[in-house]
Amino acid sequence: MEPANSGTTLTQEFSIKVSDHMGGETLKHCYQCGTCVSSCPVAKATSSFNPRELIKLALMGAEEEILSGESIWLCCSCYNCQERCPQKVEIADIFYALRNIALKKGYIPSMYSQFSTALLDVGRVVAISKFVENKRVTHGLPPLQEVGIDNLRKILQATGFVKLEEKEEE
Amino acid sequence: MSETKIGVFISDDGKQLSKILDFNALTEFSKQIPGVVRVETKSEFWRQEGLETITEAIRQGKINRVVIAETQPKVSEIKIVQAVENAGLNPYLVEFVDLKDHCASPHRATPAEATEKAKAMLLAAIERAKLLEPLKKLEFPVLKSTLIIGGGIAGMQTAVDLADLGFKVNLVEKEPFLGGLAARAGRFFPTDDCAICIQSPASDVKTITHTSRKCVYRSGLSEIPNLNMYTNSKVMDVKGAPGNYKVTIEKKPRFVDEEKCVRCDLCVAACPVEVPDEYNAKLNTRKAIYINTPNVHPPVYVIDESVCRFHDCAKCVDVCPTNAVNLEQKSEQVTLNVGSIVVATGFQEFDSSIIKEYHYKEYPNVITNLELARMIDGFGPTGGAILRPSDLKPAKKIVMIQCVGSRDKRYNSYCSSVCCMISLKHAMLIKSTSPNADITICYIDIRTTGREHEHYYENAREMGIKFVKGRPAEILEDSEANRLVVDVEDSLLNRVIELKADLVVLAPAMIPAEGSVELAEMLGIKLDEDGFFKEYNAKLRPTETKLRGIYLSGGATFPKDAPSTSLHAHSAALKSAKFLMNGKIIKDQKTAIINDEYCGDCQFCPVTCPYGAISLEKTTEDHFVAKVSDLLCEGCGICVGTCPLNAIELRHSRPTQMRAQMKALMSVNSTSKPLVLAICCSECGHTAVDSSGMAMMQYPANVRVMRVPCTGILQVHQLLEAFRFGAQGVMVVGCKNDGCHYEEGSQNARQKIETSKVLLREFGVEPERLEMFNMVFIEGDKFAEAAQMMTERVKKLGRLKITGAN
Amino acid sequence: MTSYSLFLGCTIPARQPNYELSARKALTKLGVDLVDLANMTCCCPPPIQSIDMVTSLAVAASNISVAEAADLDILTLCSGCFESLAMANTLLRGDNKLRKKINDILSKAGKEFRGSIQVKHLVQVLKEDIGFERLKQSVARPLNNLKVAAFYGCHALRPSNLLKLDDPERPSILENLIEALGAENVVYRNKLKCCGGLLRGSSDELALALAREKVLNATKAGADCISTLCPFCFVALDIGQVQMKRKFEETYDMPIIHYSELLAIALGFDPKSLAPDIHRIKLDKVLSKIM
Repeated sequence: MEPANSGTTLTQEFSIKVSDHMGGETLKHCYQCGTCVSSCPVAKATSSFNPRELIKLALMGAEEEILSGESIWLCCSCYNCQERCPQKVEIADIFYALRNIALKKGYIPSMYSQFSTALLDVGRVVAISKFVENKRVTHGLPPLQEVGIDNLRKILQATGFVKLEEKEEE
Repeated sequence: MSETKIGVFISDDGKQLSKILDFNALTEFSKQIPGVVRVETKSEFWRQEGLETITEAIRQGKINRVVIAETQPKVSEIKIVQAVENAGLNPYLVEFVDLKDHCASPHRATPAEATEKAKAMLLAAIERAKLLEPLKKLEFPVLKSTLIIGGGIAGMQTAVDLADLGFKVNLVEKEPFLGGLAARAGRFFPTDDCAICIQSPASDVKTITHTSRKCVYRSGLSEIPNLNMYTNSKVMDVKGAPGNYKVTIEKKPRFVDEEKCVRCDLCVAACPVEVPDEYNAKLNTRKAIYINTPNVHPPVYVIDESVCRFHDCAKCVDVCPTNAVNLEQKSEQVTLNVGSIVVATGFQEFDSSIIKEYHYKEYPNVITNLELARMIDGFGPTGGAILRPSDLKPAKKIVMIQCVGSRDKRYNSYCSSVCCMISLKHAMLIKSTSPNADITICYIDIRTTGREHEHYYENAREMGIKFVKGRPAEILEDSEANRLVVDVEDSLLNRVIELKADLVVLAPAMIPAEGSVELAEMLGIKLDEDGFFKEYNAKLRPTETKLRGIYLSGGATFPKDAPSTSLHAHSAALKSAKFLMNGKIIKDQKTAIINDEYCGDCQFCPVTCPYGAISLEKTTEDHFVAKVSDLLCEGCGICVGTCPLNAIELRHSRPTQMRAQMKALMSVNSTSKPLVLAICCSECGHTAVDSSGMAMMQYPANVRVMRVPCTGILQVHQLLEAFRFGAQGVMVVGCKNDGCHYEEGSQNARQKIETSKVLLREFGVEPERLEMFNMVFIEGDKFAEAAQMMTERVKKLGRLKITGAN
Repeated sequence: MTSYSLFLGCTIPARQPNYELSARKALTKLGVDLVDLANMTCCCPPPIQSIDMVTSLAVAASNISVAEAADLDILTLCSGCFESLAMANTLLRGDNKLRKKINDILSKAGKEFRGSIQVKHLVQVLKEDIGFERLKQSVARPLNNLKVAAFYGCHALRPSNLLKLDDPERPSILENLIEALGAENVVYRNKLKCCGGLLRGSSDELALALAREKVLNATKAGADCISTLCPFCFVALDIGQVQMKRKFEETYDMPIIHYSELLAIALGFDPKSLAPDIHRIKLDKVLSKIM
């Protein structure tokens, strides 16, 4: 256990920030029963991920610890915790919110920057190579339709996604 | 109508008020109002010579209406009104004004304006006094008998209390035997004595020891002469009113004559039909003719008519030595006339099969606390042995899961309060007979709040019972090892563990008894949002409902342990006794009255009356008029506020009386200041004004206060009229939304205010001139703040111009 | 004849022609008309939701609006697409404030979400539009009691209050669909547990551990194959198996096959025409049992 003056300042601001963010509204309902942990396939496979603990840290305001850590990226989004939570805490959605907040602060795992680049370039998270496209004819599949990249870019501009991506580039 | 002769009596409160208010001016002002024949001031009028002054004037026939400005009228009025009645004047012809807490105290910084407000207050009281009517005191007969619905420990205790007090008691139980949930529980925490003992109500103390421990079958319950018991019976219909209910009971046939049965058990042995025993959680079987356990009450067998073969078999008839079995018995309808009704229907276990991840009813080795209780009970299906239902082998590893369906927003969000102790009790009882049993309790929190309960928890730990702070996500079956596996995170260790178990015991939520919704509707009482019967006010009026004459006893209001149930049951008996003991109900006739001519049978009022006091009476083929029951009417006036045709009036708060007050309050204003009318309800609003004065708070004298029984009485046109009479602003002050003393009055009022605002806007009047405030008695500061705020607001908005107003 | 806008998403056209081929052939044979609309982009599944939830909702809504304009319900093959689109559809229909926020964004691209169509998963369409009985009757080549371990994946079922596809604890659609083809539904441990698919690329070790558990459980229960509904699950369990063998030095041979492939084969299509080479764990054993 860490000694008392290790510098973790526990404040309310971060819990407010999370519960004000889309997906984080139910954060404060948690009463730490641990149902989410025993429902979680990842928590059962590794001790580096504990959803109950992460929610507790968020409630206590441990912003830096959560956002800079790797834990929040280990959720596999299976939603089992959210289905079973007796307080209807939207746990998986809270992790999305924490990731959104982390990204805005500049903590970006590399895989995600690849996704966002692809989305902006070709309108897909997985690019479809010319080779694959041509193979469709061999298979007897109809050709792919246009994705309408211009409209998509307008939307991504409006949501601020473009700015995020630019931040990622830096 | 004979001439009204009003006597105005202004108390100086030990010559304190005249330091602020100009008493000469008040006296002169009152004297010149038409109808006033006498004006007097004294130090006080509610005691001694002051009171004599008033009663003397009445006796001499000098006055026939009394207006009195006295301190703390809510206290002093009781004495004054009694004295007035004794002197020979109808007590409803007295009008009170509080010049201290409503005027001198809050406006002491502005004496001139305070005096002006005092004049307005006196004028309003005088004008209202002119319109007061001599009302009656109504008397209704009350039968000195009662019906107790439910024969568990609460119902039995209340029944015995009332029988001992001399009332005729009818106890109705839907099961064939008394005892309810407690009978199945085996033992009661924290003393672990037998539940059957404790369920025996203490009857007629002969000596202390004689009554302390007696099982139901020894309690002499059946020998109490004025206690009638109807088992295997249900309440089908309730008609009538408080003091005089007509209840129809359906007595299902037992098929065994209670007078002849000798409990020899020969019929049971002879019966060829065997079915799973529901009472014992289907852990064993019973016959079609059966008794639950040897020590039940009444000690008579009963036949389950859904499985009995009747005359295709009739073996029980053949073997019975006293011819007690009677297969011809039919259902009986019994009508009972009672004065009061007590609901003691208790609670039941939540159906855990709804929580699919726990596999209750799918995996036979997942059971509930109640089922475990049957196993632990020596009288039970396994003779006290703890076995796995799947193969009847001994259960060595037991895992208990708490909060199954409790504290769970998906099912029941409340804490069921007794389950932690129940599980601890079971764990310790098992450990004491099988020290090698391996028991783990999985919990979110351990709640052991009662007397001796924390000690109980300590004992459990001492005995080696293990605790895991974590709520399991799922119970899985390990078919190879023939065991159950419970996945749970031990949050204190930060580790996910797999607990292997022979038996998993769920602690389900405790939910309202079956049939609660129908019973509540039959009786006209409310259920709370969890489906339990709603107590009127758990602190001030426990065991009462919003209707007179109907009381609640025991777990029917919320899950309770045995000591709490006992207390509650005694309390319900007391309340019921107080209601019944005089043989009559005496009420003020401050009730609603319908004007038949205007009534358009729209049928709104019967629905909105919280007390079911309004019914519809047929006058011709297709015409109804509303009719108010003076017995049921509580005098709130919500019906008045509801009626779209102004066909209902509330006696003592008639529209004419209210209008006269409003007009008078607004009329005295020589300084042309903007006036704000504050309409306050008697329960919370008006008392908040009292408390602001008592606490010496200050607010502008522009605010003139008027009292109504409940803000629900207000109609939209009355609110608009206030502006016509000269109010620049109107504030309506009522109880808080979830605390209206008449159920929904303040919420109704809010809707009226919203509608009025829309209309004001249409008329070109700023809607913010009208506002509603909700507060309680001690929030005098809130009232002062609101009064200040409204005054400033209307000052800023400027003078309101309405045609036809001054 | 019912018509649907076929939403392909990204992964299926990029990597899983087997899913697309089998689905198109089977649905067309069963009388479902599939329309390929233009201007449909990525659905913005969890990886994009992790970056920005609002972006995912907006793009999903934009895709829905394309189908709305054509007055067609959407049929998705990929469970990830299903979750993203159906969730957005339900959320925006139920929350006026959110809808306004998203429509303000969409207006920049000249689009508007109206909430007039439904988003359905392949299995929903098979159940509701065709039904188990008719499906059974359409089977030309019953699957000879092939032992199939049904695997829903996570996003076909959860979050259940928004997707409303089936009971999240006791689903039965897929099991019924499998049995309708003449195959046998195998009960295996933790069938609803996640395969770890979304962890691939960021936490490979974890992903493989989860996938391995699934493969082992299905093997233990005696299944001939695992039937999937999602390209991510497919990859996690199929390519994943190859990686697992190397990492854990174990041998397993559990073919992974999309439900639509089983369906197409049962309806009489030649397995060779369904791009079988995509499967890294070969289908020989499965095919020999049913052909």
